[in-house]
Amino acid sequence: MNQIQHALRDRPWRLQRQAVALVALGIFIAIFIGALYLAQSASVATLGRQLEELITRRNQLEQQNEQLREDIAELRSVPRLLARAQELGFEPAAENQIEYLYVPDYNPNREPVTAASTEQTQNLPVYDESFVGWVQQQWDNLAQQFQGFSGGGS
Amino acid sequence: MASVQPAPSRDQMFNQRLPFVIIGMVIASVLLVFKLVSFQQLSLDVVNELRPDYNRTVNLAAARGLIYDQSGQRLAVNTLEYRVGLSPNLVANPQRTATQLAGILNLDELTVYQATTSDKTWELLAAPVSAEVGQQIEQLKQDGLTALTIEKIPRRSYPQGALAAQVLGFVGGELQGYYGVEGKFQDQLTGRPRTEVVSNIPFDVPSEQEADKGSDIYLTLDRDIQFLIESQLLSAVQSTGAKSGTIIVMNPRSGDILGLANYPSYDPNDPLAVKDTLWKDTAISNEYEPGSVMKVVTVAAALDKGTITPNWTYNDQAVLDMAGIKVQNWDRQAHGVVDTTNVLVQSLNVGAATISLAMGPTDYYAYMSKFGFGKLTGVNLEGEASGTMHVPGDSDWSESNLLTNAYGQGVAVTPLQMITAVSAIANDGLMMQPNIVAKIVNNNGQVNVAQPIALGRPITQDTAHTVRDMMVAVVQNGLDDGAQLPGYTVAGKTGTAEIPVPLGYKQDAWIMSFIGFLPADDPQVIVLIKLDEPTTGRWASQVVAPVFRQLAQRLVVLMEIPPDAVRLALKAEGAAASGQGG
Repeated sequence: MNQIQHALRDRPWRLQRQAVALVALGIFIAIFIGALYLAQSASVATLGRQLEELITRRNQLEQQNEQLREDIAELRSVPRLLARAQELGFEPAAENQIEYLYVPDYNPNREPVTAASTEQTQNLPVYDESFVGWVQQQWDNLAQQFQGFSGGGS
Repeated sequence: MASVQPAPSRDQMFNQRLPFVIIGMVIASVLLVFKLVSFQQLSLDVVNELRPDYNRTVNLAAARGLIYDQSGQRLAVNTLEYRVGLSPNLVANPQRTATQLAGILNLDELTVYQATTSDKTWELLAAPVSAEVGQQIEQLKQDGLTALTIEKIPRRSYPQGALAAQVLGFVGGELQGYYGVEGKFQDQLTGRPRTEVVSNIPFDVPSEQEADKGSDIYLTLDRDIQFLIESQLLSAVQSTGAKSGTIIVMNPRSGDILGLANYPSYDPNDPLAVKDTLWKDTAISNEYEPGSVMKVVTVAAALDKGTITPNWTYNDQAVLDMAGIKVQNWDRQAHGVVDTTNVLVQSLNVGAATISLAMGPTDYYAYMSKFGFGKLTGVNLEGEASGTMHVPGDSDWSESNLLTNAYGQGVAVTPLQMITAVSAIANDGLMMQPNIVAKIVNNNGQVNVAQPIALGRPITQDTAHTVRDMMVAVVQNGLDDGAQLPGYTVAGKTGTAEIPVPLGYKQDAWIMSFIGFLPADDPQVIVLIKLDEPTTGRWASQVVAPVFRQLAQRLVVLMEIPPDAVRLALKAEGAAASGQGG
């Protein structure tokens, strides 16, 4: 005890240095957490942006699909099919050109048969994230962003 | 003499300066942390200032449901058009911009140049433009021409053109459906638009914003049958000089409408190109006097009531002078002793009036009500009329109505009402409600299949079969032999009706119609053909019956209805096979 008191009397800045070190550590931790939070926010914002782009893209594709379906419906309109069939040498069948057959157990008014839906098991991603892994991921993100800011990357 | 102090050692200097450095670093760090926090957490003043811009309200329009025919062919779809404009004050190079836009929009370059140099804040360049052009403009905008504004305009499109126009109806401004299925099923088709509050903050993850799409509707209409009857109607109108016409094809067993065509019609892609009177579906909204077709209903009612039997006879003297009017036959001839079948075969007005007179007004009108005259059929199309049948007790009913109504005068019906009534005879006495919708598939994939609805049983099965046989005789031995289709037994009846005008009837103008079904012993289809004021003949048997034959020739192929001999042979073969199997 005497030795400590002696040491502090001899070098008083040691106490100051310890206090400053504690404050600095606190500040460092605060900065670290703030940086992690910033990285997280930036990551979410980036994902949000990507999501928005994907939604826009999806809407565009849906519109294109709709347009294509309309085009197909126009191309399959009766007058066009009729003209095309005649170009290919077909002609409407006359009543006496049709041969009717009896098919056992065939019911012409039956309900349309549709393929049974095959149940698919959805493979959900395995949740194996640990706290250390999460911190590492955030750190990597942060590092990546800083690299981006500094124009580096290679 | 001043004393000289020794210079502080390196360690002393370090120790003296260190606190300042540390304090400086601490201050810098605190400032950094403060900025970090303030960057994440805006001050209250700033928050309040920005609050109105934090969120925006977005109106999410629901995609309108599609309309299909019974086989899944698209009859009505959604598409987009674009409205293109620009903000002149953002145009950097007006000349170049005008050249680019004029080429894409197919506009005069000078006009576009004037727009790009305008003093206005915004100029409309073109509307509507197609999706292809819209995409080119979108690309131009992405390439840096930020002055452009491009706005999407949802549009209803009918890829089959004018096919089934009056059945489908059309969609006008604000995506409101008018007439036909579009009008009747507006609520189901339009879906549920939503208002969504969307964050403007880039850090917020966008939510999945989607309005509830409208339900898809599958019609009972068969696109091929529809095309066939529209073609036949056009051809019939042109060849007979008729002003207008209607054809309805129905399944008498279920009431399903397989085809419904009117002439003239219009293209629902451009409904404003025609007068609004053409928008109405005349098959369900126009009333006319049916003429002699009504005789089958009169005979059916009297047979069912027991007023007459198939062997009943009367002495036809050409004229029936009763209730202040003189009822005459179409040929002004006396036909002597005539039985029930020949009242129909020879289409005798005197015979029909004699029968209704024998029934008496109470029973006669009770049966007419059972057959649905003067009432809506309840078909799921917009704009149906109920027709007019005056009954005892009405101020404008007199006893003469009882006579004239028997052969289709003094009564107003819609074509759909008439075919529905006769379909009861085809369907063993059971009258089905006409129906145009096969199923509705909602946004969640839930399917609501329309079930056939019986409107009632106006006559018994025996009566229906008796009248059916009489209608077969009409086509085989009577005036309507032009409707015969080789290989098939057709039951039918024509009607030639005068056209009422305010002071009597129109001179030298008639509405001619035919209702027939086949195969008579197992009806799979019933057809009504009505031509307004044809000029190539005086009687429906001359003008409309042949049209039915032409139509039926194609119809049996499309519907895969075998000739009677083949059908009965196949039936026997099937019965034998099932007998052996059993």
